[in-house]
Amino acid sequence: MSSLALKDRPGRLRKEPSGGRSPRRWPGWLTGWAFVFPAVALFAVMGVYTIGSGLALSFAKWNGFTPTWNWAGVQNYLDLLYADPVLAPELRRAGWNTLQVMILAPLLTVAISLPLAVALNSIRRLRAVLRSVYFLPYVTTGVAIYFAWRYVLEPDGAINTLLRSLGLGTLAQPQGFLGNPDTALPTLILILVWSSVPVATLLYLSGLQAVDPNLFEAAQIDGAAPRHVLRRIIWPLQRPITAAIVLLGVRDTLHGFQIFLVMTRGGPGGHTDVLALMAYRLSFFKGLAQTLGLASALGWLLFAGAVLLTLVNARMLRRVH
Amino acid sequence: MSSVRKRALGAAVALVVGVVVAGCGGGAEEQQQGGEQTLKMWTFKKSHADALNKVAAQFKSETGITVSVEAVTPDDVFVSKVQSAAQTDGLPDVLEVHAGGEDLEMGASGLLQDLQGDVDATWKQRLLPTTQESGVMTQQRIDDAASDSPFKSTKAGQRFSVGFTAGAFGIVYANKDKLQAAGLDPNTPPKTWEEFLDALKATTGKDSQQGGLSLGLKVSQTGYNWVYQPLAHAYLGKDRFQALFAKGAAQGFASPDGVKTLDVFSRLTPYWMPGSTTLGIDEADIAFAQGKSAFDVGGTFTLAFLAQNGLTPDKVLTFPIPPSAEGVNKEISMSPLALTGLGVTATTKNRAAAVKWLDWLTSPKGAGAVAKESLDLPATDLGADAESLLGADLAALQKYFTGPPESAYDAADVSFFPSDYDQVKPGDLMVRLSPLQEVSPQQAGTELDKIMGSMWKATE
Repeated sequence: MSSLALKDRPGRLRKEPSGGRSPRRWPGWLTGWAFVFPAVALFAVMGVYTIGSGLALSFAKWNGFTPTWNWAGVQNYLDLLYADPVLAPELRRAGWNTLQVMILAPLLTVAISLPLAVALNSIRRLRAVLRSVYFLPYVTTGVAIYFAWRYVLEPDGAINTLLRSLGLGTLAQPQGFLGNPDTALPTLILILVWSSVPVATLLYLSGLQAVDPNLFEAAQIDGAAPRHVLRRIIWPLQRPITAAIVLLGVRDTLHGFQIFLVMTRGGPGGHTDVLALMAYRLSFFKGLAQTLGLASALGWLLFAGAVLLTLVNARMLRRVH
Repeated sequence: MSSVRKRALGAAVALVVGVVVAGCGGGAEEQQQGGEQTLKMWTFKKSHADALNKVAAQFKSETGITVSVEAVTPDDVFVSKVQSAAQTDGLPDVLEVHAGGEDLEMGASGLLQDLQGDVDATWKQRLLPTTQESGVMTQQRIDDAASDSPFKSTKAGQRFSVGFTAGAFGIVYANKDKLQAAGLDPNTPPKTWEEFLDALKATTGKDSQQGGLSLGLKVSQTGYNWVYQPLAHAYLGKDRFQALFAKGAAQGFASPDGVKTLDVFSRLTPYWMPGSTTLGIDEADIAFAQGKSAFDVGGTFTLAFLAQNGLTPDKVLTFPIPPSAEGVNKEISMSPLALTGLGVTATTKNRAAAVKWLDWLTSPKGAGAVAKESLDLPATDLGADAESLLGADLAALQKYFTGPPESAYDAADVSFFPSDYDQVKPGDLMVRLSPLQEVSPQQAGTELDKIMGSMWKATE
C-alpha cells in the first residue's frame, strides 16, 4: 500500500491501534506473501526439491521402497557410459536410435510442413477447411492414435492390404512394419513426423503471414520463379521458426518415449529402444532392482544433452538475427 | 484493514491451509467407519479385483469386515503407485504382488510385514506343496544378494507373503480345428519337440499366414522363459541346465551344451506367427483365439483368458512344451509355482483384520470362491472340489504338474540365478536368435554369457 493511499484515508488511520510494529504495514506484506506463498511452495516442492532430489538420486542405488538410499557416487554414470558390460552397450544402442530419431524427425517435419504452409498460404479457397484437416493429427494424437497405427501396420493391416491390392506386394511387410527390424524405426519416425507436422505448419503459416507482401510482389516483378521465392525469401525469413521447430522436435525425441512404449516397447529385439524408454524401463521394469539411481543418472545425461542442444540452438538463432 | 482486504487475506490463508491439509492427508485415512472395520487392498490384476470384490461380501457377512479391492494396472503403474504410496504413507492394508521376488523385495524394503508368526503349520498345509514356502526369505537368497541389497537386512525364515494363485508357464495350446485341417490328430499331443515342429510344419503348410505359433514376443522374455528354459532343462537335465547360468560359467551358454539348446530352440524360426514380435502376451492369446495361429504358448492361466475371448476349452488341445528326443529327459512336467502372493503392509492399522482376510482367502472356502470367479488356479489345494469349482478343463491342467522328479521343471527355483537377475536382456537376445535370426546360436551363447557375467558382477 503506498503512502499516498494512506494519506488519502486519514479517518481510517485514526481507528487503527498504535505502538509496536506498524499495523498499517502488516496487512500489506502479509497479504502479498499469502498470495505468493502457494506458487513459491509449489515451485519449491515440485521444482527445486524434485530437481535436487533427482540429482542426488543419480548418485545412489535405490529401488523406490527402502527408506534409505545406498550412495554409489558417480558409479551410476560410469556404469551407463562404459563400466557396465551390459548397460553401456545398451545405452550406446539406444543413443544411436535416439540420434537417428532426433535428426530425421525434425528434418522431415520441416521438409514437409514448410512447403505445406506455403501452399496453404497461397490458396484462397478452402484455406480454413484445409488448415483444420491438416491440424487433425495434432488434435487426435496421443496413446489412442498409437494403438490405431499399430493396427494399420500389422501384417494383415491396412497398409499391407493396400500395397497388395495395388500390386505392390513386394513392398508389403510379412512381419508387419513394426515386426521387421529394418522398417520398425523408420516407421516410428514417420509417425512422429505425421504427428508433429500440424503444429509446424501452423507456426510456418503464422510466420508467412507476418512477411511483408511487397517482398513477394517485388520478387514476382523481378521474374523470380516460385522455387526462388521459397529459397531466397521465405526460407531465410522463416529460419527462426525453423530453429524453433527443430528445437521442439529434438526436445520431444530426447524426452518422449510413449510412442516407443506403446507401439514396440523397444522391440523387435531392442531395435527401437531409445534413451527415454531405457530410463523408464530402468525405473519401473526392473523387477524392483535398485536401478532408480541409474534411471535418474540417465535422465541427467539427457538433460545435459538437451542443454547442449539449447546452447547450439541459441547460437544458431543469434547467427540468424 | 479494509473488509475487502481482510476477506482477501482470509481467502488466501484458507487456500494455503487447505492445500497443506490436503497435501498432508491421505496417509491417515479413516479405516474404521462407525466402528466397522474396513480394509483396502490393491492388486495388479483386474480379473482378481473383480473376483475379490465379489467374494468380499461373503467375507463381510462372516466377519463384519469390509474389504475394498482396487486394481492398479499394468504392472509398471502398480509398481510406481506402490513406490509413491510408500513414500507418502498411503499404502493400503493388503497387497497382492508377484510371488517369488517382488514380495521378498517389498518385504525386505520394509513395506510388508513379517507373517512368520501368523502362518503356522496348519495354514501351510492348506497350500499346494510347491507353494508353501513362497514368500519366505531363505538364507541362500540373503547370502547371494549384493552387499547393498535390502535382502541383507532380513532374516531367513521371515515370511512376507502367502501364496494366493498358482500355476505353470510353458503350456502349449493347439487349435483342434486347425490340427484336423492339417491332417493331424486333434486329440493327441506331440510327445517330442521334433513332433511339435512337424505339427507346426503341417499347420503352416496348410495355412502359412494363420497356421503358426503365437507368443507375445513384444515382452521378449516370454520366448526365453516359457519355451527355451523348459526345453533346455529337459534337454540337459537339471544340473547341466543350471550350470549354464553359473558364475564364471565354464559350461555356459557358449559351451557345446548351451549352443545345442539354443540351436534346438531356433528351429522354431520358420513357424512363428507373422508379427509375433509386435504382440503383447494378451494380444498373442487373442490372436490365437481369433484363429490367427494354430498354436499358442502361455500358462495355466491362459485357458480362462482364451475362454473369455471366445475359444472354449473343448476346442483346444493342451500340452506342456515337449522335450526333445535328443535330450536327457524324455518327459516333462511343470511344477506349479505361486504366481502371486498376499502381503500385509507395514503401515496398516488393521493388522488383525488383514491377517484374517488373508487367512480366509487362502482357506479352501475363500480360495474356491475366488477361483470360481476368476478362473485362476489358487495356491490353495482345493482337493476333490477342484473340478467343481474350476471346471473340468481348467482342473485338468493340473495333470501337467506331476511326473517323474527328474523331469519336473520348477520355474520357482531361482537359486542358481544372480540375485539381480533380469530376464529382459536374455529375452531380447532370444528374439534376435529367433525369429529375427540376427545372431547364430553360437553368437547368442557368447552374448548370453556376457549378460550373465554382468549380472553376477552386479551382485559383488
